[in-house]
Amino acid sequence: MLDMVTLLLISIIVGFIGALTGLGGASILIPILVFLGIPVKEAIASSMVAIIATSSGAASSFVRERITNVKVAMYLEMFTSVGAIIGATITTIVAPIFLYFFFAAFLLTSFIKFKDSISRSYVSPKKQDKLSRWLELQGSYFDKAKNQVIEYKVNHALLGGLGMFIAGLAAGMLGIGAGAFKVTVQENVLKMPSKVASATSDFIIGMTALAGVSVYFSSGLLNLTLMTPMAIGATIGGLVGGRVLNKLHGKVLRMLFLTVTFLIVVQMLYKGIMSI
Amino acid sequence: MKSDIIGSGESKLETAISYLLIIGVIFSLILEAIGLTLFYYSFANLNILENEVVFIREENFFSFVITTLQGENIQNSAILFMTLGLITLISTPYIRVITSVIYFAWEKNRKYLLLTLFVLIILTVSLTLH
Repeated sequence: MLDMVTLLLISIIVGFIGALTGLGGASILIPILVFLGIPVKEAIASSMVAIIATSSGAASSFVRERITNVKVAMYLEMFTSVGAIIGATITTIVAPIFLYFFFAAFLLTSFIKFKDSISRSYVSPKKQDKLSRWLELQGSYFDKAKNQVIEYKVNHALLGGLGMFIAGLAAGMLGIGAGAFKVTVQENVLKMPSKVASATSDFIIGMTALAGVSVYFSSGLLNLTLMTPMAIGATIGGLVGGRVLNKLHGKVLRMLFLTVTFLIVVQMLYKGIMSI
Repeated sequence: MKSDIIGSGESKLETAISYLLIIGVIFSLILEAIGLTLFYYSFANLNILENEVVFIREENFFSFVITTLQGENIQNSAILFMTLGLITLISTPYIRVITSVIYFAWEKNRKYLLLTLFVLIILTVSLTLH
């Protein structure tokens, strides 16, 4: 039987990986909890707290080091929060099966030009669209691994907002943080550097999880003996991850992100097929 | 080198947010660790319980905070500290959004004031409705 010490140690690792990849970590934590005998609904509800812990722990470093782009995060939060609320509301109207396959298909786009995406260096778009410019969506950070300042311009703000709305919809409908979706939108649509995308996703995901956890207060699924060790572990993992990310090379982070994303795609396809 | 890239007006907001987040997580960590220690002394083990006493059942987040602060429904000090730790943790991103609204109002940045205010309203509604 799972005890709180074991859960705390597992949560440290999950929080660490979640912080580095910007994925929150619920997609790793929930299957482990279910495998160890925790009822699935309880695992989903309680893991929302682990996402908040990872997010706040990691973001405290990312924001201080200016890796998180706060303005981009605030713009995108608008779309994810509306998406999450609509998603939670229409769960009973629309079958989530479509979302499982859509979500899996979208994440698979991360594997297009797999080799290139691992080895390529970040190139900022030279021009910005009007909306991105008006919203002042650009920035720079000091990359410790490369020992240089990376400047970037965010592009396609409207399309990125739409992507975030769908990420929020998926989060609300499927009870997940949808961090993989958020990172993919930021990298592939908004053209942000990998580290900024992970750090900004970590920042946003805490707020999405906060909106998500509110659903469960009246459900009687929030178990304090599950949430407390998860919160302690994920906070420690997030704090450590937040201090390590900037020192790692983009290639390592990209490999880690793609590995975890691959596992999420398999999970999504399995759930989709099982619900046919 | 680093200071060259900070420069902009948002650096004050970023500093405030990073302090807020670190204070929030450290404070919640301390409360949760005390809760866990007291739990061990109360129950003589650290097993995950499926007992009614460890489950939260409230109308919404705000009513949960109010009943906890009034000391209702919680008899055990371990459960009380674990609950207070979780309330601190869950409140941290919410306070972060409030801080951003205050900052942009102070800076008279209407564009981002409206944007963050919108997020705050959505978040407050979702925390109140359930």
